[in-house]
Amino acid sequence: MSLILKGVMQSTVTPLKDDFSIDLPTFEKLLDFHVRTGATAISWPHHKGESLNLTMAERKACAEVAVKVVAGRVPVSIHVSSLALEDTMELARHAQKIGADAIIAVTPYFWRPTIEAMYDYFLWLGTSIDLPLIAYNSPHHQGAAFMGDLTRRLSEKLPNFIGMKDAGFISEKFVEVARVALAMRPTFAMIAGVEFLAPSVPLGGAGSYSSAGAICPNLCLQLYDACVAGESAKARELQYKLIRLWDLFRDQYPSSLKGGMVLMGRPVGPTRPPLPTATKERQEFIAGELKDLGILDTEPHGW
Amino acid sequence: MSIFTPGLVHTPVTPFTRENKIEFDTFEKLIEFHLRNGTEALAVSTHDGESVSLTDEEQRTLIEFTIRKVKGRVPVIANASDSGTAIAAARARHAESAGAAAIVATVPYYWTPPPAMLVEHLAQIGGAVKIPFFVTYAPGEVVGPKLTNDIVLKLIDRLENFAGLVDASQDWQFMISMILNAKRKRPEFQLLTGVEYMVSAGAVGATSMFSSLAGVAPGLVRRLYDICRREKYFEARKPQEEISELRQVVKGPGFAGLKGAMRAMGRDCGETRRPVMPLGAAAFEKLAAELNALAILRDEPRGWQIT
Repeated sequence: MSLILKGVMQSTVTPLKDDFSIDLPTFEKLLDFHVRTGATAISWPHHKGESLNLTMAERKACAEVAVKVVAGRVPVSIHVSSLALEDTMELARHAQKIGADAIIAVTPYFWRPTIEAMYDYFLWLGTSIDLPLIAYNSPHHQGAAFMGDLTRRLSEKLPNFIGMKDAGFISEKFVEVARVALAMRPTFAMIAGVEFLAPSVPLGGAGSYSSAGAICPNLCLQLYDACVAGESAKARELQYKLIRLWDLFRDQYPSSLKGGMVLMGRPVGPTRPPLPTATKERQEFIAGELKDLGILDTEPHGW
Repeated sequence: MSIFTPGLVHTPVTPFTRENKIEFDTFEKLIEFHLRNGTEALAVSTHDGESVSLTDEEQRTLIEFTIRKVKGRVPVIANASDSGTAIAAARARHAESAGAAAIVATVPYYWTPPPAMLVEHLAQIGGAVKIPFFVTYAPGEVVGPKLTNDIVLKLIDRLENFAGLVDASQDWQFMISMILNAKRKRPEFQLLTGVEYMVSAGAVGATSMFSSLAGVAPGLVRRLYDICRREKYFEARKPQEEISELRQVVKGPGFAGLKGAMRAMGRDCGETRRPVMPLGAAAFEKLAAELNALAILRDEPRGWQIT
């Protein structure tokens, strides 16, 4: 059960047709695009993949497609978080059945669970399946956060607890989880939720679940390489470029990201309500930014 | 205006007597301790120094006293933060006339003014002086209005002396986006970290660090700062983790833990003022025992080290 994650990992958006149904052929092309442009792992469907707006049947069907298309070239993890934890468990068991390499699960929605409740939940999930488990910490959205002590207790009980996606982006919180987790398990993967690599890699960060990889995979890889090489000045400049992209995409994520993909010749359709779809005007604004960043000239266009 | 880079800034606590008055003799010893243990600037009457529990007159006296005792050996930075705009601005003006090198100020206490008034509040404090002006952002300490990129950019337009932002939010999204956009408007604008998490802050461009733990473990703080200034962030990971561990212990019992830790290191600065409850005997013993168990403190100075 040893799966070591590192590098720039891609969580794929979910391509939709104009009628909002899932566009499977485009999903297959996108998975393949990510693998060919340097993704060290694929993960689907994060919130960026509109997970909560998909039915259980859709999530299962697409998970099967992801495993089949990636075909062992890189590890595939399935994001199993659902409002009802019974659904989460069903998706986790399904992921194992179809041959996924890992599951990833966020702290529970809505309830703002106590630390004890989070411990109980992750223990239940982790002991119920025979797959590596990545915890997903999203304190700004969930109102509940991982701390060092919870991480330590789960690591003691769960040999399959191999990593954490951190979407807190707060120095102290990151250090406190990383120092505990890495001392217990040196291959534990602390993965920055989007491309915050300059502040995290020196602290033991393993890489990122990319947000901009569908737009500019080269830039994402350059940032990771600069961070790992300890090229601080270069890493900082690249991080500044990527924050401009994140500032473009973060509101109503992934609406603007999908809008930007149109400009890169990789259209993936609208975003399901209640999230808006990027308008023509929004796309024009994004085009201006991408041009200013030089991305239109330096990154792959089309599939 | 020439660029003032504060560097490693120690933020001393404010010692009190049993009668709850500022203990100036001890404060003088504390100033000397900080000067001898690696500080490059002193920030006085900060939140770590219980500024919010000091009267206006006490804050003015503390600044004057500090400047008199430091005698120009390092720059002295004065905090001028208050609820009322005019009160804070007058305090800033006083600090400048007393010889402060720079002013720091945070968002108003209690009030949550609309963004335009928040800009006005900070612009009036900064505009009251000619010396460099820094804004402190500590959303974990101040329940109040949020600082945004937009507010920072508007302040840059308003104030020639707005030199930088002291960030204690530790929020990577805010720090990176803010410094990038601010530097595009004012290239010499600085990001400073208000807490001892210099690895991430330095990696994204922070030039300076404010430290309260320097009163407890100045050697460790200095080591972290120096390695980060050389941009050896992988090398800095170990001291960063050590400081983080120390910080968890010190803040375990709450804000009073800082003075408890000072006392445990042989530098008794008295108790905290109301409404921060002092550590009881049992809480102090527990804290002291936890600090004693930290191997990283073995090489740190005990007592006042006055020779």
